[in-house]
Amino acid sequence: MSSVYRDPILELKDVGFRYSRGKDFINNLNLSVRDGEIIGLLGANGSGKSTILKLAGGILNPTDGLITLWGNPLHLYKNKDRAKLLCYLPQILDINVPFRVRELVGMGLYPYDVAPEIEVDESLEMVGLKGKEESYIKNLSGGEVRRTFIAMTLLQGAGLLLLDEPLANLDIKYQIEILGLLRDLREKKDISIIMALHDINMALQFEKVILIKDGKILGSGGPETVLTKEHLKEAFDVEIEINRNYAGESYISYINNYSQKNIRVIR
Amino acid sequence: MIFIVSLFIGPRAMSPFALSDMEKEIILSIRLPRVLIAILIGMALGASGALLQGLLKNPLADPYILGISSGASLSAALGIMSGIYLFGKFTIPLMAFIGAIFVSTVVGILGWRRGGLWPERLLLAGIGLSFLFNAALMFIMSVSTDEGLRRAVLWIFGDLSIADWSLIPYGLAFIIAGLIISILRAKALNALILGDEIAYSLGFSVYKERFVLFISIALMTSASVSLGGIIGFIGLLIPHIVRLLVGADSRILIPASALCGGGFLCIADLIGKSIMAPMEIPSGIVTAIIGSPYFLYLLRRRDVLGI
Repeated sequence: MSSVYRDPILELKDVGFRYSRGKDFINNLNLSVRDGEIIGLLGANGSGKSTILKLAGGILNPTDGLITLWGNPLHLYKNKDRAKLLCYLPQILDINVPFRVRELVGMGLYPYDVAPEIEVDESLEMVGLKGKEESYIKNLSGGEVRRTFIAMTLLQGAGLLLLDEPLANLDIKYQIEILGLLRDLREKKDISIIMALHDINMALQFEKVILIKDGKILGSGGPETVLTKEHLKEAFDVEIEINRNYAGESYISYINNYSQKNIRVIR
Repeated sequence: MIFIVSLFIGPRAMSPFALSDMEKEIILSIRLPRVLIAILIGMALGASGALLQGLLKNPLADPYILGISSGASLSAALGIMSGIYLFGKFTIPLMAFIGAIFVSTVVGILGWRRGGLWPERLLLAGIGLSFLFNAALMFIMSVSTDEGLRRAVLWIFGDLSIADWSLIPYGLAFIIAGLIISILRAKALNALILGDEIAYSLGFSVYKERFVLFISIALMTSASVSLGGIIGFIGLLIPHIVRLLVGADSRILIPASALCGGGFLCIADLIGKSIMAPMEIPSGIVTAIIGSPYFLYLLRRRDVLGI
């Protein structure tokens, strides 16, 4: 994967946000996504991951600071133009209407007056859902639903995906599958991704992690440098540390007063 | 076809090939407007039911849940009871329409928060207002000894007998306007069904789309209630039946629900006015009696997804 564009695709500059009648939730936040990056936004529940993603997606408007997309202020984009560049998927994808896979994926073309070249079939093949075109969303597994929506974003053609907890509530098999799929898409379609996570094991799989606590960034970079014992204590309020075994594989050690358990994660 | 058959069958069956002058007159001035109004009302209810179920993300929603019909009934009943026939035969439809538009506005205001309409608020506001208006209506009816009472009750159960050419243009205008708006915004409705955030992410202005769809529902429902009273079943179950047959894509669902709603009400009215002639069964009763068993049959037979 090569890229010429080295300026950030998305940049949050000194962004502040407060919910109505609330106190400041996010203050002076600076964050950028560069071309081809897959960033894990790690933090405990309520740390502000979702809020940051919604700000980045334009769903919430910052009360301070500026967000730029490809160098231009995000809020100045027309809805349809923005939709062709950036796509946000919420954590919960709850569809109680009998849409079929093909119908839902096809909605990715809604921002376009003239449809781009990619076809529904092509995008379904990319996410490995070929043969499920006529299935009802209701009858799919959690991982398949997630992949259906990812296929929709492929059709939408957005180069930047903002995914809120795409791996939550999935079995480990599907977590690995979805992560693999996203990496695959980065190679094939030149897509950059920023996703919220709360699972430290999963964060170990990322090249770049941003650790969040109370709307502030505790650290940003590779998991080894960011996920220090001190940071993890601050972010999650538990005594844990990341260790490496003789083969260089990372694993998490849970430390408490009563027992010491090691859970190993191959990296 | 339903349309043509309806013209020639009725309390007095006629042969389309040998029409006397009087029969021509009956067809032109009584049956034709009535059939047209049945079709219009059915279309409005089918389409606005499909819209509302998507907008509120609630499979149990029907156009009357917003309280529009209760407000219209109350307003019309007041008109009938008070005996003011200010506008002659227009009194009932006009009073009903005023009531319906008034309630739509109130529901819209109550459902409005932070710059947009919120489905849960709309739903609850509608239910709350319905209770209030129904109570008021019951109260009026229980204290009234008016001979207009029977008329009012009939009207509330769906009475197409006031059909008349003069009502058609204005019903047509509102209902067609609502239908066109809703068909043009069907993509936005599909996106809204996926959730506000996804709809926004797909390039739709969520508040604006929801407002436009609400206006179109209010127009169609108000016009239909004022033309023929409250006709159950169509708004709630026709969209479900159509969804089972053609799928959930609003771009097909909305026009298909309109067509099925129109055709179905036309048949129901035909049955209602013929089966016990010269007495008429209100269409609202007929639609429920024929429609519900068919719906239950479909529910048993088909693999019902999503409801």
